Parts: sequence; C-alpha cells; structure tokens
Amino acid sequence: MSKLVTWLASAGTGFLRACAVLAVVLLVPALWAAAVGLWIWWGAGPWSWLAPFAWAGIGTVALSRPVCKLTRGLVTRWTGTVIPGGYRQAAPVVRMSTGYWWNGFSYERTSRDARQDQRLRLWWSDPATWRDLRFTAIAPVTVGLLAAVPPAGVAVAVLGLLQHSPGIGLLGLLVAVTTAPYAWRPLEPVAVRFLRASFTMALADRVDELTAQRADATVTQAAEIRRIERDLHDGAQARLVALGLSLATAEKLMETNPDQAKALLRQARTGAATSLTEIRELVRGISPPVLTERGLADAVRALALDSPLETEVSAEDLPPLDPPIESAVYFGIAELLTNAVKHAHATEARIAITRQDNAIVVELADNGRGGALARPGGGLDGLRRRLAVFDGTLEIDSPPGGPTRARMMVPCESW
Amino acid sequence: MRILVAEDLYLLRDGMVRLLEAFGHEVVATAGTGPETLDALLTHRPEVAIVDVRMPPTQSDEGLRAALAARKEIPGLPVLILSQHVEQLYARELLADGAGGVGYFLKENVFDADQFMDALTRVAGGGTAIDPAVIAKLLTSGTSNRRLARLTEREHSVLALMAEGLANHTIGQRLFLSESAISKYTTSIFGKLGITDDSTNRRVLAVLTYLNKA
Repeated sequence: MSKLVTWLASAGTGFLRACAVLAVVLLVPALWAAAVGLWIWWGAGPWSWLAPFAWAGIGTVALSRPVCKLTRGLVTRWTGTVIPGGYRQAAPVVRMSTGYWWNGFSYERTSRDARQDQRLRLWWSDPATWRDLRFTAIAPVTVGLLAAVPPAGVAVAVLGLLQHSPGIGLLGLLVAVTTAPYAWRPLEPVAVRFLRASFTMALADRVDELTAQRADATVTQAAEIRRIERDLHDGAQARLVALGLSLATAEKLMETNPDQAKALLRQARTGAATSLTEIRELVRGISPPVLTERGLADAVRALALDSPLETEVSAEDLPPLDPPIESAVYFGIAELLTNAVKHAHATEARIAITRQDNAIVVELADNGRGGALARPGGGLDGLRRRLAVFDGTLEIDSPPGGPTRARMMVPCESW
Repeated sequence: MRILVAEDLYLLRDGMVRLLEAFGHEVVATAGTGPETLDALLTHRPEVAIVDVRMPPTQSDEGLRAALAARKEIPGLPVLILSQHVEQLYARELLADGAGGVGYFLKENVFDADQFMDALTRVAGGGTAIDPAVIAKLLTSGTSNRRLARLTEREHSVLALMAEGLANHTIGQRLFLSESAISKYTTSIFGKLGITDDSTNRRVLAVLTYLNKA
C-alpha cells in the first residue's frame, strides 16, 4: 500500500517536472510557432514573412541564455548536478588618460557606450553563447518530446472522456501515469552533454586562472623579499654598524676615559639586544619558529595563546604538510584572527582544523560584529588569492552584526 | 654548582662554559644534540642544566623534548631552557608538571651575566625563572583576561614580577616599595585570583598554573 502511495507521489512530482521542462524548452519553438502564425495571418505579399521571422530570430537569440540558465537551475535543484555556466566575465571598463574609455576591445566616448559595446562583443565572442543556442535548438526535439508524453497522455485521456470513448481515455491515463516518473529524467544527461563547457574551454579557463595565479605568486614573493631586504638593511644592519662604531670608540676611550668607555659598552649591549629583537620579529614574519619546530596544530595553539582573544583551538592529528601549504594556512589563520580583533572587535574565537578527504579544512568563528567583505585588493582578497595558488578556497560568512565564520580549504595531494 | 650545558652552536656553548667557570661553577658535561642531552641529563644528574630549545638532528624542539623527557624520569630535575624566541606554549609545557625547578629564558639575556646567574641559582633551588617577555604575553593573552581584569595596575606589575620567580624583597626593590607593601599586594592578588595556598615557592607555580588553566 505504502509502495503504491510513494509511486503515485513520484508520478505526481514527475508529472509536474515534465510540465516544467516542457514549458522551458518550448519557449523558443512557441516563438517560432507564433511567427509562422503571424505570417499566415498577414497572408500574401512576397516579403510579409520577413518581419515575423526577424523578430523570432532576435527572440531566439535573446531567450537562449535565460532558457539555459533556467535549465541549469532545474537540473541542479532536481538532481544536484551542478553545470557551470562558463560564461566569459567582462573585464573592467577603465578610463584612459585621454578621457576615453577602454573596455578591452575599443575606445568609447562614455563609459556607458564602452560597457554596451563590451557586452555585445563579449556576447558575440563567447563560445558559451553558441553552446546555449545549440542547446535551445536540440532540447525541444529530445528532452521536449519525451517530457511531452505524460501531458499528452492526460490530454488524450481528457479528450477521450469528453468524446465518450473510455477505452482511449483509460489508455491515455495509463500512459500518463506510467511515464510520469521518468519523462523529465533525460533532461540531466542532455543538459550535461550539451551545456557543459567543452574540455578545451575548461582547459583554456584553467590555464588563464593558473597564469593569473602565477603572476600573483611571483609579485607577492618579490614584494616579500623586498620587505625582508628593507627590514634587514634599515634595522639590524644599521644597528650592527652602530654597534661596531660604539665598540671602536670604547676601545679608543678605554685608557683615557674608562667611565665613558663603560657607558658606551653598556649602550652597545643594549643595541645588540635590540637588533636581536628586530631580527626575531623578522624571522617570525618569514616563518614562525614554532611552525618549524612543532607543525601547524601547535603553531596555531601558540598563536591562540598570544592572541588577546579568548581562543579555543581544536585540531585533529595532522600528518606533516608541505611547508608552503602549512605556512599559507598558518598566516591565513593569523590574518583572520587579527581581523577578528581589529575590525570585528571580537572577544572570543573558535578555530577547528580538520582533514576532509584530501584537504585540510580550517574553520574559524568569532563573536564579533561581522560585516567582513572580500573587497578587491583588500586583506581578505589577498588571502583568498594566496590560497588560490594551492587551489585552496576561502569562504566568508559575515552578516552585519556578526558572527563571522570563515572556512579555508586547501587540498593536499600528498595524503 | 655542577652544571650541564646543552647547546649546538659551538661559539655559544664555549662562551657559556667560560662564563660559568668565570663565576666559579663546574661544568660537568656538554651536549650538542637532543639524544646526547637526554643521555647526559640522566647520567650526570647536574644540579642545574642549561638546554637550548632547537638542536640537531631535526633542528626542531629537540632540546625541550629532551628536558621534558628527563624530568619525567627525574621529577624536579632543574632545567633552564634557552631559546632564540619566547613562546608561552613552551613555558606552559615546562610548568605543567608543577614540580618547579624550571626556567625559560631568551638567549640574549645570557649577556646580562648577573641576571643569568640569578636565574640559574633560582632554578637550581627549585624555583622558577621565566623570561619577562613570556610573562608579558601570559598576562595579556585572552585566555586569562577575565579574572586578571580585576587586578589594579600595581597588582599587575607585582604579579608579573612574582611570576618571573622573584622574591618579595627583590620585587620591592624593583618597584621601589617596602617588602611589607609587597606582601600586602600579594595577599590581595591571591584573594582576587582565588588562590589560598601561600607557601613561598609554590605561590609562583600557583599563579602560573592558574594562568595555565584559566
């Protein structure tokens, strides 16, 4: 009995889904049908077909993207399969020194023109556009036909009952009920086959992404080396020179003025201690000693101890990680903690480090006031880009008023 | 005193040995790696050992591990840890067994011979000697903020010096206060932190243990 109920329920949802599929894929054919209708209605005249069919053509082009977006949405909602759109992203429109606007293709007088021109060219040159058009042409004759079976069955049933031929009516109903749970299902394979970015395109996108990441990494590294060089040059190196000078002077003064020599020596010792402190800070900024000595989990615990927040750290037993990944994750946590103190004014934080499949996942939650945004060029954006070098991701959930939750994920192939 | 020196950098080790001998102490053994250190600690049982945190073969926290392992065998074995950097995580681990006789110092404080010898004597006597930089971090870190917030500024500085392992009259000298004033402060600190035990050597540990667990 319950089996029958679940069967009927699935038939019901199946029927509704088939109707939805039909409605979506028939949008464009309906447009063309209307065009044909209009042409017939206008009647003779050698050019009377031109206007309706021109409109139908433009309508098809305009509808293809919404139809495909709808289809992707339906597939994701019903089967969980995510089909990425893969549309080309518009480059920013920038104002040149001449006052004109550059959109990546041409110069325009105003930013509005530049944007319009860019949209058009992007649309035209985007392989995804042609993929969408192809799908709108294919879908009605594949998915559309199959999805039409249950509604058609129902229509036959109704017609049969109205015409007082219960045999045909019953047959129609039988067809509708038996096909309903399955009729919408071809949507997924067809959409996956025709709507997913082609292998070449995915590869090209990946290459673009990697090129950008490599550039990022190179720039970051160069900047870091410059910072270290500057710190050493202005700090420790200068102090050591001063130290040498004091010692030389003290040596000279040793016999003539022992008191002053003593004072200078004391000063030299203080100087040595200060430069040690500076070098220590510098080393900590390059690679924290605890990280080298104890690994990520203990380094984060040490970080939590030093933080003014009340911080709770839970870490699974982690196998040794690649040093660059370990360091990126460590500095990521440090940055998020600093943000929690400085911007969110949090008082408590929780850090959880876990491994999931082939990835290390860090979750950090605070009780601050939230509102954290990954603005381009900001700290969080920088962090996201640094993680991206390792194919890692950063997700921030920070509604205004808090709390903030951050999740870092970095895959580790070595596990 | 019979002292053991474990340090992998020859220059530093040699310098320290000479400094110690200049102060009339006897260096019973030296060690340059983690396993050597553990061995020497267990066989020589020095009155106090000076151990560097980072040592070969792994160049990680070998020295600290050796010290902790030795203290597990011989509870209360006095060890003064020297480090290039201060890390309260390490200080907490040293203090965790509550047996006393531990110190954790920045290497550069060896330059200050008087302070260094003072710390060494305190550790050898079963007391504690913790670097002021570590104490500063302990006192500002989030985990102990709440109850410490009740202390006045003066009580804060007294507690900090107390946690370093200094005795009341030394604290008094540093803060330009009388010894009796200091003991009044300590009583009120213990009251505010809810520590009732007041034996002289245990109190520092009590404070630090409190900071550990709060």
